[in-house]
Amino acid sequence: MSATNGGRVRATLKGIASWLPERVLTNEELASVSPKWTAENIFSKTGIRERHIAGPEECSSDLAVNAAARLFESGVCQPDDIDFLLLCTQSPDYFLPATACVVQNRLGLRTTVGALDFNQGCSGFVYGLALAKGLVESGSARNVLLITAETYSKFLDAKDLSTRVLFGDGAAATLIGAADAGDDLIGPVVFGTDGRGAQNLIVAKGGTRGGPASDAPACPSLHMNGPEIFNFTLNTIPPLVTDLLEKTGVSMDQVDHFVFHQANRFMLEHLRQKIGVPAAKFHVDMDSYGNTVSSTIPMALESAMRRGRIRSGDRVMVVGFGVGYSWAASMLTVL
Amino acid sequence: MTTAINMNNETAFLADLAVLLETSPESITEDYPLNDNNWDSLAVISAIAMIDKHFNTTVPGHALSSSSSVGELLGLIRAQQPRA
Repeated sequence: MSATNGGRVRATLKGIASWLPERVLTNEELASVSPKWTAENIFSKTGIRERHIAGPEECSSDLAVNAAARLFESGVCQPDDIDFLLLCTQSPDYFLPATACVVQNRLGLRTTVGALDFNQGCSGFVYGLALAKGLVESGSARNVLLITAETYSKFLDAKDLSTRVLFGDGAAATLIGAADAGDDLIGPVVFGTDGRGAQNLIVAKGGTRGGPASDAPACPSLHMNGPEIFNFTLNTIPPLVTDLLEKTGVSMDQVDHFVFHQANRFMLEHLRQKIGVPAAKFHVDMDSYGNTVSSTIPMALESAMRRGRIRSGDRVMVVGFGVGYSWAASMLTVL
Repeated sequence: MTTAINMNNETAFLADLAVLLETSPESITEDYPLNDNNWDSLAVISAIAMIDKHFNTTVPGHALSSSSSVGELLGLIRAQQPRA
């Protein structure tokens, strides 16, 4: 692809649409399960009032298709415009085929598109941006549809309120397209991985390790070691932010917005103070949908753009971190 | 610059811990018990934030969760090095 006015082809974020399942799980409903919890206590500790839960027959592909349909309805693009589908999920419909192939068919995307799943959690959106950037800037695709879709609720033990209060189901569809620009509109990206943390956020049953799938329980259970996840975050994210600023060549003051993975409000507020981000630039937007894993960042971006809080020309730092451990940060400039 | 773990930090930490445990600062001694009633997962998460704020360090999550007294908790903190 060639540029037209002295710049070069740059990947850019062109639109975001999210979708949430209909069923709402409130703090009141969760608090009624255990005398140790109250609705207000759940909110004060997590910043979450309610989360959406997929129905028994509702899977990640259903959420993905609905989010993408909303993106097409917005008019930013049509199914025929898509050259590549990247689908980030850890709760796929099947072991195989890839959920991306199911979604390609249901969305009526051309059979000449590339489509693949990638398995990342809270870092997934930033990884997806980096992959989409590579596809667009190498000339392999002009329009990449990045969908993040999770139904973690299907992994949660009904008795484990510590995870049920946090996680909600949802999906987001993001269009990354080509623009002619002098500077990066997505990037640079800083990545990180440390599999020593694998056991601290894990669904250990249901895969191939530990016996055949037929012996797996009907509902694989998610285990989260909250204290260790918090320790990992405190040790990893502040230097990640510093690395990205150095790689970008800008100071903290030159960043207009900070959109971190919306893990829980308490953790985010502590991180914000530790890193020294002004509250007015730091987005916390999870009270009505909770931690939707790879969709928290695009959902917060969509909401902030819709309300005019993030505007054309703004520089936004996005930071994803969690299960893996896996983390990544990048800088976006909004066209 | 690193800061040594010192008594001033501990005093400020214990004041915050008293608020977390919903008790008075005077009653927080090394013998003060941590148990199922006051040391649940949310309390441990809050304590991690306080340890980071006052000592610029982290304590292994399992050891923190299984602490049975304030003295044991302080021992864990004193055994850590502040981050560079």
